[in-house]
Amino acid sequence: MNNVLTAKRLRWFAAAIVLLNGFFPALWILATAFKAEVELTAKPITWFPRDPTLANFMSAFNDQPLPAYLLNSIIVALSSMVVSLFIASLAAYAIARLNLKYRGAILTSIIAVSMFPLVTLMVPLFEIMRGLNLLNSYWALVLPYTVLNLPICTLVLTSFFQDIPRDLENAAMIDGCTRMGALWRVVVPLAAPGVFTAGILAFVNSWDEFLLALSFNSAAAYRTLPVGIQMYQGEFSFPWPTISAALVIAMIPVVIVILIFQERVVSGLTSGGVKG
Amino acid sequence: MTMNSTPTAQRSLFDRLADMDERMLAVCLLAPAFIFISIIVVYPVATLVWNSFNDVRLLTGKPARFAGIENYLLVMSDAQFWRAVRNTLIIVFVTVPGALVCGLALAMLANMPFKSRGPIRLALLLPWAMPLAFVGLIFAWFFNSEYGVINDVLRRFGMQPQIWFNSGPLTLMAICIATIWKTSSFMALILLAGLQTIPKSLYEAAEVDGASHWRQFTDITLPLLVPSMLVALIFRTLTAIQSFDIPYSMPGPGEETQTLAMYIHMNAVDYLDLGYSSALAVVMFGLSMATTFVYLKYVRAEGK
Repeated sequence: MNNVLTAKRLRWFAAAIVLLNGFFPALWILATAFKAEVELTAKPITWFPRDPTLANFMSAFNDQPLPAYLLNSIIVALSSMVVSLFIASLAAYAIARLNLKYRGAILTSIIAVSMFPLVTLMVPLFEIMRGLNLLNSYWALVLPYTVLNLPICTLVLTSFFQDIPRDLENAAMIDGCTRMGALWRVVVPLAAPGVFTAGILAFVNSWDEFLLALSFNSAAAYRTLPVGIQMYQGEFSFPWPTISAALVIAMIPVVIVILIFQERVVSGLTSGGVKG
Repeated sequence: MTMNSTPTAQRSLFDRLADMDERMLAVCLLAPAFIFISIIVVYPVATLVWNSFNDVRLLTGKPARFAGIENYLLVMSDAQFWRAVRNTLIIVFVTVPGALVCGLALAMLANMPFKSRGPIRLALLLPWAMPLAFVGLIFAWFFNSEYGVINDVLRRFGMQPQIWFNSGPLTLMAICIATIWKTSSFMALILLAGLQTIPKSLYEAAEVDGASHWRQFTDITLPLLVPSMLVALIFRTLTAIQSFDIPYSMPGPGEETQTLAMYIHMNAVDYLDLGYSSALAVVMFGLSMATTFVYLKYVRAEGK
């Protein structure tokens, strides 16, 4: 009896640590976002907003073009996700299904892309984008993000395609489908969970990227969220409540994604990790 | 004569045509991926190496000039380069083991038999999904000297609050804590998946033999986790070498806490010195490749 009780207490203790570790920073930002400037300078600091206010959210929208940043992030993340899914599913089909001599080498060389340090790619890409007049455009980010997402998308899609029985595809081809028709009408829909997993990982990767976004798109009209959020601070002023409110808004899309797709995300991350 | 040709010969011809078809199809399917990779990775890396041997300062307005190993000699005698390397190595050697230990602890805690796994999983996913640049800002706010929560806790426990970002070492410490927080949950997710593949019967057998919990941990859990740890460690080390977002969002005094990636970014984007920044980038490239080779060697040794 006693033993059961301590085991239960131990479980609660473990859960508390994991939950506190994961959620505390986000909750703290949420609390700060509702605090008035006066309350912020009070000492000792208050842990919960005494007098919740929405003023910080107003200034988050007024001080910087936050909706534009959000839109830029969504455009860049979604378009690079769609393009890499398309290219990766073609490559994954070839690797999973066709009679290739250097199957392993091909997959390895695509995965090797993820081993390249992004900073070393940034320097020459900066020069190339500058030469092509592509700095401050969606292209400057969509093109590199597409390639950066290829390794994980190809890896996830290949393992899903391999699990789809060949007979289904053959049946479709006997019914008059071409090989490509069978890929789009049979293989990809059956591998939908894999396509989703790869898509979410690609989306979050592009959504989080900071270095290229900072280096290539410095003009306000093309800033993505991670870069835009840094713009609230002046040279000597840090309007923390406003920054916190902006962070809260900026985190909503990704929180929704992981709330809905948490199982997919976990299986994708760990399969990529274990097999990569 | 044509009438006499054997069916086998005909089939082999047909086979060969089918083979050709399959090979053409493979080329067509793989072409987009490799064209993109060539444009965004292979060609830029070639330009990078070429530029590192040239004097390409866009601000001077002079045309590029072949400079041999001048840039590399400059790198070797550049004090700020060595400081950036030192900061980067500190971050690597503190945050990689730190994330492994914290991630392992989180994974063990999360692996307990809870009734609902949803909240636990979310608590591990949220830090992973949060952009590094956001994490840097949030922790800069935590370590704020006046109103930050860290100094508040220090005060409550009767300790001396610190002006974190006025001191290089303290800033580096804050950067390392933020980085460990951000990266340990991804590590935990990978290790958790590894933990769940360990058969329960091993622990039951150890229990019967009277092995202590600690013995079970060191003799069953750790050795069986090594494969998933290695994979997570390779990627963690490679990203730690490139540390940029968090140190950039948590600046210390002057350029004292600049990392190698920040120094490259400054030379390329702010000073438009593409020759020098390319040489710096080649050095970082070498560092990453060396790391990968060391790990792969270890993985192979482990496999034998």
